[in-house]
Amino acid sequence: MSAYTALTGAGYRAQVRDRTTLFFTFAFPLLFLVVFGLIFKGQAVEESGLSYLSYTAAGVLSWGVANAAVFGIAFTLMQWRSDDILRLIRMSPAPLTAVIGSRYAIALVVGAVQSLLFVGVAMLPVFGLEPASGWPLLVPVLALGVTTFLLLGVIIGSFADTPESVAAVANFLMLPMAFLSGSFFPLDSMPEWLRTVSLVMPLRYLNDAVSHALAGRGDSSDVLVGCAGLLAFAVVFGAVAMKTFRWTRSS
Amino acid sequence: MPATTAPGGPPAPAVRVEAVSKRYGDRLAVDDVTLEIRQGEFFGLLGPNGAGKSTLVEIMEGLRRADAGTVALFGRSPWPRDTTLLPRIGVQTQSSAFFVRQTAHEHLRTVAALYGAPRTAVDATLETVGLTGQRDVRVESLSGGQRQRLAIASALVHAPELIFLDEPTAALDPQARRALWEVLRGLKAAGRTIVYTTHHLDEAEELCDRIAILVDGRIAVTDSPHRLVGASRAPSRVLLPEGRLDEATARAIEGVERVSAQGGSLVLETHAVGPVLTAVDRIAGLDGVQTRTASLEDVYLDLTARPAEAAGTAATTAETTEP
Repeated sequence: MSAYTALTGAGYRAQVRDRTTLFFTFAFPLLFLVVFGLIFKGQAVEESGLSYLSYTAAGVLSWGVANAAVFGIAFTLMQWRSDDILRLIRMSPAPLTAVIGSRYAIALVVGAVQSLLFVGVAMLPVFGLEPASGWPLLVPVLALGVTTFLLLGVIIGSFADTPESVAAVANFLMLPMAFLSGSFFPLDSMPEWLRTVSLVMPLRYLNDAVSHALAGRGDSSDVLVGCAGLLAFAVVFGAVAMKTFRWTRSS
Repeated sequence: MPATTAPGGPPAPAVRVEAVSKRYGDRLAVDDVTLEIRQGEFFGLLGPNGAGKSTLVEIMEGLRRADAGTVALFGRSPWPRDTTLLPRIGVQTQSSAFFVRQTAHEHLRTVAALYGAPRTAVDATLETVGLTGQRDVRVESLSGGQRQRLAIASALVHAPELIFLDEPTAALDPQARRALWEVLRGLKAAGRTIVYTTHHLDEAEELCDRIAILVDGRIAVTDSPHRLVGASRAPSRVLLPEGRLDEATARAIEGVERVSAQGGSLVLETHAVGPVLTAVDRIAGLDGVQTRTASLEDVYLDLTARPAEAAGTAATTAETTEP
């Protein structure tokens, strides 16, 4: 059994045996769907002709998947470092890629289950989401989104030494980004300069790509630009993650 | 057992530390330490908390980089991370370093896979540390002693040649402690090298071929426990049942340095046990008299209580280590 397979197996068992975290990982985006669905029931976004719900479903889905990817690995790396699990792995010949790779496999599965569940619920008659014709593009787009935000999570998990600091830093980055990237409110209703600011946020690109694939907003170039943006951020985050990774608290 | 051998020369030492220093801020945690541990040796590293033991061990393991000096394990530097050297080394983890929500067997299986060790080694190692009955118990539900034995198993599962153990018996009950001693003797008999830190001096005396005592980041002495005790400046003690001899008479015996009453005995401290016993025999008889020679603990307390003085004698004592 390879180090990668073993770590993935241990990670999978730890994940499914923690029912509470598992439940809330999947319930959290759904909660937002319900809240926004109730607030904006039947309203349309100005001039676009799209129902507010289809707009917000795309935004909440991309934020939910990104959030789970960031928090999942950041918490794991922080916990593994403070429990000396990373020290144990550091003293074995297992490569760092096996550690990150095993968490990546788990994050992809979490993202896939999240998306299926979320889209399934949003398609219920109460919410009435009708996926656009380009919905299969969601698969590569969300996979790329998981990649980019997982690498951001690696950086956070390398800096933070306590659960509190992981939550503080990750929320500090992810919550304002959700609003400024148009996950919860349409960017069209924001001032011009804020829309420009959103261009330096990775979530903006995930939103745009998911919005087209799921809700049919914009055109297929949004998917291409979105993927290119995510890829660029993935490269930057990956490089920073390599530089800042710490096996032990003192190293 | 594979040993890195220089062509025509003796095998490389398992551990060679040369003039290693490490500073934290303005505190010198490890101060110019030099030591060599032969392959197959059982080496004890003792010293008070804060003396620099952990730092020194982490430098040997390659987890920390020394500010100055060199470290070689089997002739190769452990820093930076060398994945071809790591399979030959086993490090006991903290008793918290378990993959969460796994059973003992699942945890050890994962560790074995990190080293590419065969799965059969997992059951065998659980058996060795006496955890076969707990194989399906979650790591979170293990008792303190069981957790410690699982942490030791994590260091042994890939059959390393050089094993670092950090206070491995701290949470064990007396039976488990003796059982672990047997495991460790077995490892030594199999030719493994063991680097052992402990606060249990009886344990060091019992198990170690050689010990080093670290005081304020410096090695105060390195020698076999037997020779350290032999060369000790600490007095031996002659214990008489209370009432056999009054204190004034005892104090008058030639060679007696101190007299005190302790735990129902009259204790005479001396560096000349033979003559004192003869005198006691003449005055009061030897019935029920016990003698206690200096133990490793006395040597240890003596050295660690007077760090400045001990550091002064370090050079001379260190040179008289075994051939």
